[in-house]
Amino acid sequence: MNALEKHRYRNAAAILAGILFTSFVVLQANSPQIGNPPVTSEFHGPEEVTRILKRSCYDCHSNETNLRWYDKVAPFSYKVAADVEEARKRFNFSEWDSIPKADQEGKLWYIVNMIDAGRMPLPEYTATHPSARVTPEELAILKNYVTGISQHYAAGDTARIAEKARAASVPKSINGIAYFDDYKNWKVISTTGRPDNGTSRIIYGNDIAVKALEENKILPWPDGAVVVKVVWNSQAPDAWGNVKPGNFNNIQIMVRDAKKFAGTEGWGFARFNGLDLKPYGKTVSFATSCINCHQLAKGTGFVFDIPTRPQH
Amino acid sequence: MKSLITFILAILALTACHDPRELTPAPETIFTENGLHVITSFHNNLTRTISVLYGNDDALANAGKERDAHTPGEVLKLITWDLKQNPLWFGSNINGRVQSVETVTVSAGPSGPVIGYAKDGNSQKASGNAVSGNAERISFIFAQRASVFP
Repeated sequence: MNALEKHRYRNAAAILAGILFTSFVVLQANSPQIGNPPVTSEFHGPEEVTRILKRSCYDCHSNETNLRWYDKVAPFSYKVAADVEEARKRFNFSEWDSIPKADQEGKLWYIVNMIDAGRMPLPEYTATHPSARVTPEELAILKNYVTGISQHYAAGDTARIAEKARAASVPKSINGIAYFDDYKNWKVISTTGRPDNGTSRIIYGNDIAVKALEENKILPWPDGAVVVKVVWNSQAPDAWGNVKPGNFNNIQIMVRDAKKFAGTEGWGFARFNGLDLKPYGKTVSFATSCINCHQLAKGTGFVFDIPTRPQH
Repeated sequence: MKSLITFILAILALTACHDPRELTPAPETIFTENGLHVITSFHNNLTRTISVLYGNDDALANAGKERDAHTPGEVLKLITWDLKQNPLWFGSNINGRVQSVETVTVSAGPSGPVIGYAKDGNSQKASGNAVSGNAERISFIFAQRASVFP
């Protein structure tokens, strides 16, 4: 390399460094600011539970975000700001009491299950904030806590409901999935008891869904597979410990159509509440919260309640 | 050296562990009902079992009523599975392998309905007093009321 070439390279390197430095400065100047709005209705739980949640969740899921200096450096600050914004939208411990009690319980179970599955706190967050990690002992404390707050049973006795309220016309979810009766002729693929929310369930699958299970072709499930879940409120256990279904609660339908429901991993969701089968969800975006939770069942094609055994 | 071996063994043990979320379908637990309808279901945390009661048209019609009379032709099948924690959701229990299939039939006899009882499954021969045990199971199955469906 001659002197002229050396000089040229040096110049190019200097210009590149200049561009990078200017971009860095511009990014810093425009770096998003994360404010901490007032704490209006804070979460209240046992001290040991609150301590874990504060340390592991509050940086994103509260108005008490504690940014470290490196969280404020662009380009990382952009990602941090986006994460905090999304996290506060999902649930916010600083505005906890603004949501109904039943939703609070549901969210706490969801939180515990996200931690249990290793999806929360976000691995990229714990990599830079190792103190936010939840230890197995702490997870056990959280599991005990949610189990303790969820001992509820319905007083309803199925057998005493003489008259059924009937939906006037065929109820249809906002995404076009209509209620139908035919699932009663399908095979039961599983049945579940949910102490977390005091319900009992029977899960049916159509022929396509059952065949997919039989042939272990659920990653992904074939188009046309339909899974229906009928949910009752559980009655209190009888003298022998049998927990029987009480009042009908809701019916949930999952329809597989990879193209039509591409935005929700190929599954269309619908839920009809009460014996009058009131469709759940005011806008089609309701299904986003469905699939967010069903991400925990990614290994079984986003369906929670199928019969399984450990993979060998 | 000893601690190094322990460390290597611990690493091996950890890598050998299966992820509890790596699951494969278990279609053998699905019951083929052959024209029967679901009457009801229940689970029991003490016995760690979960059950679905099926019945034919006659059985379903009578299971909604608060009376003990049964008509010839009724067939009831109670399927009982192990109850296990749902590996995908802490807080939910789901059925595991099939434990037993109990069948109760009502047929016409010379002096009123005759009740038949049969049980297939692992614990078939466990019952000491078969006759009184059966009577208990028959009345338990008859006592179940139909779940309300929309």
